[in-house]
Amino acid sequence: MTAAPALAMDENLPTELRALLNSPGGAEFEQALDAIVRQREQHMFRALGQLARDLHDAVRRLGTDLAQEGFPGNAADARRYLQDALEMSANAAHRTIDFAERMRPQAESLTINAAEMLKWTQGNEPAAVLARESVMFADSCREGLAELVVAQSWQDLTGQRIKKVDGFIGSVESTLLELVRLTGALAGSDVPASVAKVSSQEEADRLLSEFGF
Amino acid sequence: MKILVVDDFSTMRRIVRNLLVELGFSNPLIQEADDGENAIAMLRAQPFDLVVTDWNMPNMTGIDLLKAIRAEASLKGLPVLMVTAENNRDQIIAAAQAGVNGYIVKPFTAVTLKEKLTKIFERIAAGGVTA
Repeated sequence: MTAAPALAMDENLPTELRALLNSPGGAEFEQALDAIVRQREQHMFRALGQLARDLHDAVRRLGTDLAQEGFPGNAADARRYLQDALEMSANAAHRTIDFAERMRPQAESLTINAAEMLKWTQGNEPAAVLARESVMFADSCREGLAELVVAQSWQDLTGQRIKKVDGFIGSVESTLLELVRLTGALAGSDVPASVAKVSSQEEADRLLSEFGF
Repeated sequence: MKILVVDDFSTMRRIVRNLLVELGFSNPLIQEADDGENAIAMLRAQPFDLVVTDWNMPNMTGIDLLKAIRAEASLKGLPVLMVTAENNRDQIIAAAQAGVNGYIVKPFTAVTLKEKLTKIFERIAAGGVTA
Protein backbone atom coordinates (compact mmCIF):
# COMPACT_ATOMS: atom_id res chain seq x y z
CA MET A 1 0.00 0.00 0.00
CA THR A 2 1.46 3.27 -1.06
CA ALA A 3 1.51 6.28 1.26
CA ALA A 4 -1.38 8.64 0.71
CA PRO A 5 -0.39 11.76 -1.17
CA ALA A 6 -0.02 14.83 0.99
CA LEU A 7 -3.29 16.80 0.70
CA ALA A 8 -2.13 20.02 2.18
CA MET A 9 1.37 21.18 1.72
CA ASP A 10 0.59 24.84 2.21
CA GLU A 11 3.10 26.08 4.76
CA ASN A 12 0.68 28.80 5.87
CA LEU A 13 -1.84 26.32 7.29
CA PRO A 14 -1.66 25.63 11.05
CA THR A 15 0.42 22.59 11.93
CA GLU A 16 -2.56 20.75 13.48
CA LEU A 17 -4.62 21.20 10.33
CA ARG A 18 -1.80 20.00 8.11
CA ALA A 19 -1.33 16.97 10.37
CA LEU A 20 -5.06 16.26 10.05
CA LEU A 21 -5.15 16.62 6.30
CA ASN A 22 -1.93 14.67 5.78
CA SER A 23 -2.76 11.85 8.22
CA PRO A 24 -1.87 8.61 6.45
CA GLY A 25 -4.47 6.39 8.17
CA GLY A 26 -7.64 6.30 10.30
CA ALA A 27 -5.81 6.17 13.63
CA GLU A 28 -3.59 9.11 12.73
CA PHE A 29 -6.61 11.06 11.46
CA GLU A 30 -8.48 10.44 14.74
CA GLN A 31 -5.42 11.51 16.68
CA ALA A 32 -5.02 14.72 14.69
CA LEU A 33 -8.73 15.50 15.02
CA ASP A 34 -8.58 14.90 18.77
CA ALA A 35 -5.65 17.29 19.01
CA ILE A 36 -7.63 20.04 17.27
CA VAL A 37 -10.79 19.48 19.37
CA ARG A 38 -8.73 19.37 22.58
CA GLN A 39 -7.07 22.64 21.68
CA ARG A 40 -10.45 24.26 21.10
CA GLU A 41 -11.83 22.89 24.35
CA GLN A 42 -8.85 24.20 26.25
CA HIS A 43 -9.54 27.73 24.95
CA MET A 44 -13.14 27.45 26.09
CA PHE A 45 -12.28 25.96 29.48
CA ARG A 46 -9.66 28.64 30.03
CA ALA A 47 -12.26 31.35 29.29
CA LEU A 48 -14.81 29.64 31.55
CA GLY A 49 -12.20 29.29 34.24
CA GLN A 50 -11.39 32.98 34.05
CA LEU A 51 -15.07 33.85 34.29
CA ALA A 52 -15.54 31.58 37.28
CA ARG A 53 -12.53 33.10 39.03
CA ASP A 54 -13.70 36.67 38.31
CA LEU A 55 -17.14 35.85 39.67
CA HIS A 56 -15.62 34.21 42.71
CA ASP A 57 -13.39 37.24 43.38
CA ALA A 58 -16.28 39.66 42.89
CA VAL A 59 -18.51 37.76 45.30
CA ARG A 60 -15.68 37.46 47.81
CA ARG A 61 -15.06 41.23 47.60
CA LEU A 62 -18.77 41.88 47.96
CA GLY A 63 -18.89 39.63 51.00
CA THR A 64 -15.98 41.50 52.59
CA ASP A 65 -17.62 44.86 51.82
CA LEU A 66 -20.90 43.72 53.25
CA ALA A 67 -19.21 42.46 56.38
CA GLN A 68 -17.13 45.64 56.84
CA GLU A 69 -19.53 48.36 55.76
CA GLY A 70 -22.77 46.75 56.74
CA PHE A 71 -24.74 46.83 53.52
CA PRO A 72 -27.95 45.83 55.28
CA GLY A 73 -27.56 48.96 57.42
CA ASN A 74 -26.88 51.14 54.37
CA ALA A 75 -29.84 49.70 52.50
CA ALA A 76 -32.08 50.24 55.51
CA ASP A 77 -30.84 53.86 55.67
CA ALA A 78 -31.51 54.35 51.95
CA ARG A 79 -35.02 52.96 52.35
CA ARG A 80 -35.62 55.17 55.38
CA TYR A 81 -34.49 58.23 53.40
CA LEU A 82 -36.98 57.32 50.69
CA GLN A 83 -39.74 56.91 53.28
CA ASP A 84 -38.78 60.32 54.72
CA ALA A 85 -38.94 61.88 51.25
CA LEU A 86 -42.36 60.28 50.71
CA GLU A 87 -43.64 61.58 54.03
CA MET A 88 -42.21 65.08 53.56
CA SER A 89 -43.67 65.36 50.06
CA ALA A 90 -47.07 64.18 51.35
CA ASN A 91 -46.94 66.76 54.16
CA ALA A 92 -46.00 69.52 51.70
CA ALA A 93 -48.87 68.57 49.37
CA HIS A 94 -51.33 68.45 52.30
CA ARG A 95 -50.20 71.90 53.49
CA THR A 96 -50.83 73.29 50.03
CA ILE A 97 -54.28 71.70 49.87
CA ASP A 98 -55.00 73.03 53.42
CA PHE A 99 -54.21 76.49 52.10
CA ALA A 100 -56.49 76.07 49.10
CA GLU A 101 -59.33 74.74 51.26
CA ARG A 102 -58.96 77.70 53.63
CA MET A 103 -58.95 80.26 50.84
CA ARG A 104 -61.80 78.87 48.76
CA PRO A 105 -64.66 79.82 51.13
CA GLN A 106 -63.13 83.31 51.38
CA ALA A 107 -63.14 83.65 47.61
CA GLU A 108 -66.73 82.35 47.50
CA SER A 109 -67.92 84.85 50.11
CA LEU A 110 -66.14 87.67 48.27
CA THR A 111 -68.09 86.71 45.13
CA ILE A 112 -71.39 86.72 47.08
CA ASN A 113 -70.68 89.99 48.88
CA ALA A 114 -69.54 91.75 45.71
CA ALA A 115 -72.62 90.50 43.83
CA GLU A 116 -74.79 91.78 46.69
CA MET A 117 -73.06 95.17 46.52
CA LEU A 118 -73.75 95.38 42.79
CA LYS A 119 -77.48 95.41 43.56
CA TRP A 120 -77.02 98.77 45.29
CA THR A 121 -74.49 100.44 43.08
CA GLN A 122 -74.07 100.66 39.34
CA GLY A 123 -72.31 102.27 36.37
CA ASN A 124 -68.98 103.92 37.04
CA GLU A 125 -69.55 104.56 40.71
CA PRO A 126 -66.33 103.63 42.56
CA ALA A 127 -68.16 101.01 44.63
CA ALA A 128 -69.56 99.36 41.48
CA VAL A 129 -66.14 99.29 39.80
CA LEU A 130 -64.60 97.78 42.93
CA ALA A 131 -67.40 95.22 43.24
CA ARG A 132 -67.00 94.10 39.61
CA GLU A 133 -63.23 93.82 40.04
CA SER A 134 -63.80 91.85 43.21
CA VAL A 135 -66.07 89.36 41.42
CA MET A 136 -63.46 88.86 38.71
CA PHE A 137 -60.67 88.50 41.25
CA ALA A 138 -62.65 86.02 43.38
CA ASP A 139 -63.50 83.94 40.30
CA SER A 140 -59.90 83.75 39.13
CA CYS A 141 -58.85 82.91 42.70
CA ARG A 142 -61.27 79.96 42.81
CA GLU A 143 -60.05 78.76 39.46
CA GLY A 144 -56.40 79.11 40.50
CA LEU A 145 -56.99 77.37 43.83
CA ALA A 146 -58.65 74.42 42.07
CA GLU A 147 -55.66 74.13 39.73
CA LEU A 148 -53.29 74.42 42.69
CA VAL A 149 -55.03 71.43 44.30
CA VAL A 150 -54.91 69.33 41.11
CA ALA A 151 -51.22 70.22 40.67
CA GLN A 152 -50.52 68.42 43.96
CA SER A 153 -51.02 65.13 42.14
CA TRP A 154 -47.24 65.27 41.58
CA GLN A 155 -46.98 63.84 45.09
CA ASP A 156 -48.97 60.76 44.13
CA LEU A 157 -47.04 60.26 40.88
CA THR A 158 -43.58 60.73 42.43
CA GLY A 159 -44.65 58.78 45.51
CA GLN A 160 -45.55 55.74 43.43
CA ARG A 161 -42.09 55.82 41.87
CA ILE A 162 -40.44 56.19 45.27
CA LYS A 163 -42.35 53.12 46.45
CA LYS A 164 -41.13 51.17 43.42
CA VAL A 165 -37.48 52.17 44.08
CA ASP A 166 -37.95 51.21 47.73
CA GLY A 167 -39.20 47.77 46.68
CA PHE A 168 -36.29 47.44 44.25
CA ILE A 169 -33.72 48.21 46.96
CA GLY A 170 -35.38 45.62 49.16
CA SER A 171 -35.11 42.95 46.48
CA VAL A 172 -31.47 43.87 45.64
CA GLU A 173 -30.67 43.68 49.33
CA SER A 174 -32.15 40.23 49.80
CA THR A 175 -30.67 38.94 46.52
CA LEU A 176 -27.16 40.13 47.45
CA LEU A 177 -27.39 38.65 50.90
CA GLU A 178 -28.59 35.37 49.44
CA LEU A 179 -25.68 35.39 46.96
CA VAL A 180 -23.19 35.97 49.73
CA ARG A 181 -24.84 33.36 51.90
CA LEU A 182 -24.67 30.82 49.09
CA THR A 183 -21.01 31.41 48.36
CA GLY A 184 -20.16 31.33 52.03
CA ALA A 185 -18.16 34.52 51.60
CA LEU A 186 -19.39 35.76 54.95
CA ALA A 187 -18.47 32.54 56.71
CA GLY A 188 -17.09 33.50 60.08
CA SER A 189 -16.98 32.08 63.52
CA ASP A 190 -20.61 32.97 64.21
CA VAL A 191 -22.05 31.76 60.93
CA PRO A 192 -24.41 28.83 61.38
CA ALA A 193 -23.12 25.51 60.07
CA SER A 194 -25.93 25.32 57.51
CA VAL A 195 -24.80 28.64 56.01
CA ALA A 196 -21.07 27.88 55.89
CA LYS A 197 -21.22 25.77 52.75
CA VAL A 198 -17.78 26.68 51.47
CA SER A 199 -17.20 23.17 50.21
CA SER A 200 -18.97 23.79 46.90
CA GLN A 201 -16.63 26.67 46.07
CA GLU A 202 -13.62 24.66 47.17
CA GLU A 203 -14.83 21.80 45.07
CA ALA A 204 -15.26 24.13 42.15
CA ASP A 205 -11.74 25.48 42.66
CA ARG A 206 -10.33 21.97 42.89
CA LEU A 207 -12.19 20.94 39.79
CA LEU A 208 -10.91 24.00 37.94
CA SER A 209 -7.36 23.35 39.06
CA GLU A 210 -7.65 19.84 37.64
CA PHE A 211 -8.18 21.50 34.29
CA GLY A 212 -5.05 23.52 34.87
CA PHE A 213 -6.54 26.89 35.98
CA MET B 1 -75.09 61.65 45.68
CA LYS B 2 -72.88 59.41 47.83
CA ILE B 3 -69.38 58.91 46.42
CA LEU B 4 -66.57 56.61 47.59
CA VAL B 5 -63.04 57.74 46.70
CA VAL B 6 -60.49 54.88 46.85
CA ASP B 7 -56.72 55.58 46.75
CA ASP B 8 -53.78 54.56 48.94
CA PHE B 9 -52.35 58.12 48.74
CA SER B 10 -54.17 60.49 51.07
CA THR B 11 -53.14 63.47 48.91
CA MET B 12 -54.86 61.98 45.86
CA ARG B 13 -58.03 61.25 47.86
CA ARG B 14 -58.11 64.90 48.93
CA ILE B 15 -57.48 66.11 45.38
CA VAL B 16 -60.35 64.03 43.99
CA ARG B 17 -62.59 65.13 46.88
CA ASN B 18 -61.75 68.79 46.20
CA LEU B 19 -62.50 68.41 42.52
CA LEU B 20 -65.80 66.69 43.22
CA VAL B 21 -66.77 69.51 45.59
CA GLU B 22 -65.69 72.02 42.95
CA LEU B 23 -68.02 70.25 40.50
CA GLY B 24 -70.90 70.70 42.93
CA PHE B 25 -71.00 67.38 44.80
CA SER B 26 -71.67 67.54 48.52
CA ASN B 27 -68.50 67.29 50.63
CA PRO B 28 -70.07 65.40 53.58
CA LEU B 29 -71.43 62.76 51.19
CA ILE B 30 -67.95 61.92 49.91
CA GLN B 31 -66.21 59.09 51.77
CA GLU B 32 -62.72 57.65 51.44
CA ALA B 33 -61.02 54.23 51.53
CA ASP B 34 -57.29 53.53 51.26
CA ASP B 35 -57.49 50.21 49.41
CA GLY B 36 -59.89 47.87 47.63
CA GLU B 37 -60.45 45.67 50.67
CA ASN B 38 -61.65 48.55 52.86
CA ALA B 39 -63.65 49.91 49.95
CA ILE B 40 -65.60 46.69 49.35
CA ALA B 41 -66.36 46.47 53.09
CA MET B 42 -67.73 50.04 53.04
CA LEU B 43 -69.75 49.36 49.88
CA ARG B 44 -71.35 46.31 51.51
CA ALA B 45 -72.14 48.27 54.67
CA GLN B 46 -73.89 51.28 53.10
CA PRO B 47 -75.28 52.38 49.73
CA PHE B 48 -73.11 54.47 47.38
CA ASP B 49 -73.94 56.02 44.00
CA LEU B 50 -70.43 56.20 42.53
CA VAL B 51 -66.93 54.79 43.12
CA VAL B 52 -63.82 56.68 42.01
CA THR B 53 -60.83 54.37 42.37
CA ASP B 54 -57.08 54.21 41.81
CA TRP B 55 -55.54 51.06 40.24
CA ASN B 56 -52.29 50.49 42.19
CA MET B 57 -53.09 49.85 45.82
CA PRO B 58 -51.91 47.36 48.45
CA ASN B 59 -54.08 44.42 49.56
CA MET B 60 -56.70 44.79 46.83
CA THR B 61 -56.04 46.70 43.61
CA GLY B 62 -58.53 48.86 41.78
CA ILE B 63 -59.11 46.27 39.03
CA ASP B 64 -59.82 43.58 41.64
CA LEU B 65 -62.17 45.96 43.42
CA LEU B 66 -63.98 46.56 40.12
CA LYS B 67 -64.28 42.79 39.52
CA ALA B 68 -65.51 42.26 43.08
CA ILE B 69 -68.16 44.95 42.59
CA ARG B 70 -69.35 43.44 39.29
CA ALA B 71 -69.43 39.97 40.86
CA GLU B 72 -71.69 41.00 43.73
CA ALA B 73 -75.42 41.08 42.99
CA SER B 74 -76.18 44.06 45.23
CA LEU B 75 -73.28 46.14 43.84
CA LYS B 76 -72.90 45.12 40.21
CA GLY B 77 -74.74 48.13 38.79
CA LEU B 78 -72.61 50.65 40.70
CA PRO B 79 -70.79 53.10 38.39
CA VAL B 80 -67.00 52.88 38.75
CA LEU B 81 -64.59 55.55 37.49
CA MET B 82 -60.95 54.55 37.40
CA VAL B 83 -58.38 57.29 38.01
CA THR B 84 -54.90 55.88 37.55
CA ALA B 85 -51.32 56.42 36.42
CA GLU B 86 -51.56 53.10 34.55
CA ASN B 87 -51.93 54.00 30.91
CA ASN B 88 -50.86 50.92 29.00
CA ARG B 89 -53.23 49.48 26.45
CA ASP B 90 -53.64 46.07 28.09
CA GLN B 91 -54.66 47.57 31.42
CA ILE B 92 -57.21 49.88 29.82
CA ILE B 93 -58.64 46.90 27.92
CA ALA B 94 -58.69 44.81 31.12
CA ALA B 95 -60.60 47.58 32.90
CA ALA B 96 -63.07 47.88 30.02
CA GLN B 97 -63.62 44.13 29.96
CA ALA B 98 -64.19 44.13 33.71
CA GLY B 99 -66.96 46.70 33.16
CA VAL B 100 -65.44 50.04 34.10
CA ASN B 101 -67.63 53.09 33.42
CA GLY B 102 -64.84 55.59 32.85
CA TYR B 103 -61.03 55.71 32.80
CA ILE B 104 -58.94 58.77 33.63
CA VAL B 105 -55.15 58.80 33.32
CA LYS B 106 -53.21 60.80 35.94
CA PRO B 107 -52.29 63.60 35.96
CA PHE B 108 -55.69 64.92 35.00
CA THR B 109 -57.61 68.17 35.21
CA ALA B 110 -60.96 69.17 36.70
CA VAL B 111 -62.27 69.51 33.15
CA THR B 112 -61.42 65.86 32.33
CA LEU B 113 -63.03 64.65 35.56
CA LYS B 114 -66.16 66.66 34.81
CA GLU B 115 -66.35 65.31 31.24
CA LYS B 116 -66.05 61.69 32.35
CA LEU B 117 -68.55 62.08 35.18
CA THR B 118 -71.04 63.79 32.88
CA LYS B 119 -70.64 60.96 30.36
CA ILE B 120 -71.15 58.30 33.05
CA PHE B 121 -74.33 59.91 34.34
CA GLU B 122 -75.66 60.51 30.82
CA ARG B 123 -75.17 56.82 30.01
CA ILE B 124 -76.84 55.76 33.23
CA ALA B 125 -79.77 58.09 32.52
CA ALA B 126 -80.03 56.60 29.02
CA GLY B 127 -80.28 53.13 30.53
CA GLY B 128 -76.79 51.81 29.82
CA VAL B 129 -74.36 51.08 32.59
CA THR B 130 -70.86 50.26 31.40
CA ALA B 131 -68.47 52.23 29.18
